[in-house]
Amino acid sequence: MKKILIAFAAISLFTACGNDQEAKENTTEKEVEMEQVVNVYTHRHYEPDQLIFEMFEEKTGIKVKVINASADELIQKMKMEGKQSPADVLITVDAGRLGRAKEQGLLQSINSELLEKSIPSHLQDIDNQWFGLTKRARVIAYSLDRVDPKELTTYEDLVSKNWEGRILVRSSSNIYNQSLLASLIANDGEGIAKKWSEGIVANMARSPKGSDRDQVKAVVAGEGDLAIVNSYYIGKMLNSPDLEEVETAKKIGLFFPNQEGRGTHINVSGAGVAKYAPNRENAIRFIEFLAGEEAQQIFTDSNYEYPVLESIQATDIIKSWGDFKEDTLGLNKLGENNKKAVLIFDETGWK
Amino acid sequence: MLKINSLSKSFNKGKSYALKNVSFDLKAGDVCAIVGESGSGKTTLVRLIAGLERPDDGSILLDGNVVASMQKFIQPNKRKIGLVFQEYALFPHLTIIENVLYGISKLKNKKLRAVEMLELVGLSEMESRYPHQLSGGQQQRVALARALAPNPSLLILDEPFSNLDSMLRMQLRNEVFEIIKKTGVTVLFVTHDTQDALSVADEILILQNGKVVQKDAAANLYVKPNTLYVASLFGNTIQINKNLQAAFRCPLNEDCCHAIRNEKIMVNPSNLDSDCEYTTNAKVIKKIVLGDTIQLLLKLDSGEQLSVTTQDNNIEGEITIGFNSKDILEFK
Amino acid sequence: MKQVGNNIETFSLKSKFKRFKRDNNRWSVFTLAIVLFLALPIIFIGVELFAGPGETWGHILEFLLPDYVWNSLYLIIFCSGLVLTLGVSSAWFVSRFDFPMRKQLEWLLILPLAIPSYIVGYAYAGIFDYGGSLNLILRQLNLDFIRIEIMNRAGLAFVLSISLFPYVYVSARAFFLNQANNLLEASKMLGVSERKTFFKLMLPLARPAIVAGLVLVIMEVLNDYGAAQYYGVNTFTTGIFRSWFSLEEPETAVYLSAILIVIIFSLILFEKWQIRKVKFTSSKTNNTQIQRIKPQKSLRFTIFFLVLIPVILGFVLPVSQLIYWSYLTASTVFDLEFLIISLKSFGIAITSAFITVFFALLLIYFSKWSALKFIKNVARIGVLGYAIPGAVIAIGIMIPTLALDKWLIEFLAKFGIETGFIINGTLIALFYAYAVRFLAVAYNPIESTALKVDNSIPDSSKVLGVGNLKTFIRIEFPLIKTGVFSAVILVFIDVMKELPLTLILKPYHIDTLAVKAFEYASDEMVMEAAIPSLFIIFTAMIPVIFLNKLLIKK
Repeated sequence: MKKILIAFAAISLFTACGNDQEAKENTTEKEVEMEQVVNVYTHRHYEPDQLIFEMFEEKTGIKVKVINASADELIQKMKMEGKQSPADVLITVDAGRLGRAKEQGLLQSINSELLEKSIPSHLQDIDNQWFGLTKRARVIAYSLDRVDPKELTTYEDLVSKNWEGRILVRSSSNIYNQSLLASLIANDGEGIAKKWSEGIVANMARSPKGSDRDQVKAVVAGEGDLAIVNSYYIGKMLNSPDLEEVETAKKIGLFFPNQEGRGTHINVSGAGVAKYAPNRENAIRFIEFLAGEEAQQIFTDSNYEYPVLESIQATDIIKSWGDFKEDTLGLNKLGENNKKAVLIFDETGWK
Repeated sequence: MLKINSLSKSFNKGKSYALKNVSFDLKAGDVCAIVGESGSGKTTLVRLIAGLERPDDGSILLDGNVVASMQKFIQPNKRKIGLVFQEYALFPHLTIIENVLYGISKLKNKKLRAVEMLELVGLSEMESRYPHQLSGGQQQRVALARALAPNPSLLILDEPFSNLDSMLRMQLRNEVFEIIKKTGVTVLFVTHDTQDALSVADEILILQNGKVVQKDAAANLYVKPNTLYVASLFGNTIQINKNLQAAFRCPLNEDCCHAIRNEKIMVNPSNLDSDCEYTTNAKVIKKIVLGDTIQLLLKLDSGEQLSVTTQDNNIEGEITIGFNSKDILEFK
Repeated sequence: MKQVGNNIETFSLKSKFKRFKRDNNRWSVFTLAIVLFLALPIIFIGVELFAGPGETWGHILEFLLPDYVWNSLYLIIFCSGLVLTLGVSSAWFVSRFDFPMRKQLEWLLILPLAIPSYIVGYAYAGIFDYGGSLNLILRQLNLDFIRIEIMNRAGLAFVLSISLFPYVYVSARAFFLNQANNLLEASKMLGVSERKTFFKLMLPLARPAIVAGLVLVIMEVLNDYGAAQYYGVNTFTTGIFRSWFSLEEPETAVYLSAILIVIIFSLILFEKWQIRKVKFTSSKTNNTQIQRIKPQKSLRFTIFFLVLIPVILGFVLPVSQLIYWSYLTASTVFDLEFLIISLKSFGIAITSAFITVFFALLLIYFSKWSALKFIKNVARIGVLGYAIPGAVIAIGIMIPTLALDKWLIEFLAKFGIETGFIINGTLIALFYAYAVRFLAVAYNPIESTALKVDNSIPDSSKVLGVGNLKTFIRIEFPLIKTGVFSAVILVFIDVMKELPLTLILKPYHIDTLAVKAFEYASDEMVMEAAIPSLFIIFTAMIPVIFLNKLLIKK
């Protein structure tokens, strides 16, 4: 027993020292300008991102240091760290959170002709505080057996009697739902948005739970007939190592709502430079790299997101869904209306 | 060497007192027993002296130095007191010799001293055993050796024999005190058993409800108890209440309380007029043979019931009982 | 001899003050300092309480709070019932009866502790899902019209119970094993039936131990975020996250935390109170082991199956699901970096376990050595961290340490030394946070073993001229070793599983397995989360088995 304990202690000491050293390196690295770094606070935690970061390191010699957490937590962290925050870049998976970071003075405007030109204007901040990097559409996944796509038209139509007890959607704590409602508030006004939320709750097949993937599975399982989901999850399901998931994803159709009108609600995963970025130049280079062709290709190929660069060919799966008209609402609005959206969700009982 | 001044201790902020205004002295070399029922404050008293509790009022002086008062408190480890607990409290993970060595680790010839102590208690062969391998009596002696090893100025024994059966108890008590006498240490010995106290103590301190009732030499306590309670601690005692006074036709001072020890009541006294001052008639209701003595349950003419003891096996029916005024105990 | 003891004055303010001056030793000061240190995050959050809740408080009160309260209550009641049934019955069976594979089952029953409950939640969702394992099996049998819906409140309660019942099992079994055999024999001699012995004798005696385990379970239930979130059940904790992050009102989140703290604090007081009430019943530990009964063959197998059920539900099923997923995703997830992460997780967990246990020991013994009675109650404030969701603690730690860091940077800059943050973003903050969060986990087993050591033992050491510290090192520590090691192991496991706090406070480039698993799961890659989850489980399993050895040896 003693031996085991000694071993425990030895291992812990060993790793603890290792870690401490690493921590120290972190701080000293800032003093010694020998090595260039960029500190990234990101909500994205996909394997392909790691690949892209490595490519950036190789190309520029700038080391990428990552902190992974939810955007909300990262924003709180940056707020508290204030002027001394080591963060250079903030990456989130939706525009609403970027808008919020901007509102709280955590980001700074940057001049990058490259970014301003290559990224469509509705996908970037008016003050150049953040830029969209990849797009996702909030689409309708419907049962091929029980729903005729001709019946589907708009998000607004989902509250009609026709869909009573047929809609599946996840919890309102999910940011994509919040942003969708925020876009409705911006497009239709608060009153209609609230009625819409009420209507969806009334038409739900079950109480909201699980992930977007779970909604799709529930459609196939027959619990409901259609689900409001994020496009790239369908892509992921179709490429899942679990064959059963692939089969499931094949049993549903994708519908892009509001094609006749303003277009389908989209959201972006995007990045901004932190207000007090110690490595500002590196941060800009980093974001530019993410908006570059190499990175964009990887985003779409391995993560099934829509690239923001028009020059990039989307991957086959995405192409198979066809082109669609996207809502060109300035994504700033998502952040501005986020809190209102959350309050409406609560008031209308969307769990 | 030990001086206690109006010591008070309450465990509930003064609602009730475990000890109240306790004062007494102890001379060097004395063996003093503290006697009282459970809950009378005996253990609290010795814990206060040892420094395991802190007094709420009053003071404790050891060898003329204040060790505890309202302003001052000396830690138990600085008091040089030996303490043997009721449950012995041997360190279960240390061997016997290690237990004894524990308190004398700073001594130069500690090993020698420890062996000497174990020899004193007659356990030299057991030195490398662990406490749980020893019998209760042996553990008791180890605890004693351990407490004596640092050569304490005061040795406190807290109910050291209460965990033992009566045969072993008597034997061990004598052994232990023989050992103690050899060392000449001052002893404070807590017990609820008067036999224990009477057999070994020079002086006895009686505690009742946290107060000192009497402190006196053992012999005096029997002859001149301060209260009925003390009297009854040292033998069966009958209170001579109004009814009995009437029955025996012995009017006594009304301001005092009186009692008589059972063994001082004479049964069928031979010369009624000269030997026995107060008498009355009684009838034997029940007879219990207790070896060579016999206990009689009597009913007096007046209707009172009381019990007396006698050696005579032939007593039955109507008898006479009586006592002398010199045997009457009087309490204020 | 003068009679000076004026008892009217013994408890006057003046006398009290005199005694306070006498009794106020350094241990009291140390205890207060440690409590303050550990309670600092809570205090900083508490300060915000005076600012009142945010403007959405009315909104929360109207639309959300009833739901939070009701769901949390539902979970507490349901989980308590299930956890008690599973934990106590299995503890009794393994300590009282002899049946096939008893020894193996004895430690298998502890293993569910090694799996974070949110991962059990994912696994069960995976099993009961459409296209999930159960569904596929039923499809083979043409029975796939049967669908069990698990992602609801009852399902969540089930998942939490099945992953948390070992807390009760462990403490109940430790009690049953150490309990005097003669009590059982006496009961037998009186001709009392096995059943009656259990319900009338052992159960009441074991109550303090069982309740201690139950309180831990309830705290974990209230603290759960991952599983509740995934199952779509709004509890107090999800509410704290929602008001903090979605509604952006830290003050409202703090308000909710405060309510939660009050609930937990009452629970702690209740536990203390009820243990005190029945203390007199717990007789001194007798070293004789329980003599196990070997029942008839049919009964033997019945017991075997009864004990097997919680093992299957709490461990075998979820782990099988994870193994299946790992098999599907091994090629994408597993690499060398992964092994390094595992090693780092292990190192972080074991180091913080030792630190936390160290703090627990300091608190328990310093407060014991303090002569002021109220200090003992003050010490318990130190364990409050366990009641507070990890994310809230993380924020609570960042407030003061950031201020300190910023001050340090400016201070050192005066001497021309330029540094980054010294506490934040380094392991110091992380260890500090774990100590705050998991102190209770270390405190309780140590305290309960310490209670078993009769006071006369350290007392006699002191009377023999040995000071507090030396007495602790030479006498008390050897006697409470088992409790201390159990504490190290329990904290270790909890740190391995910990998530929200780690997410916020971890340094750059240090990932833990839990973080890795969560990253996958939160991006709906539950399958990919399986391998890190399995690694957590296996790293945690080693000490669980070790813990079991300790208990048996005792």
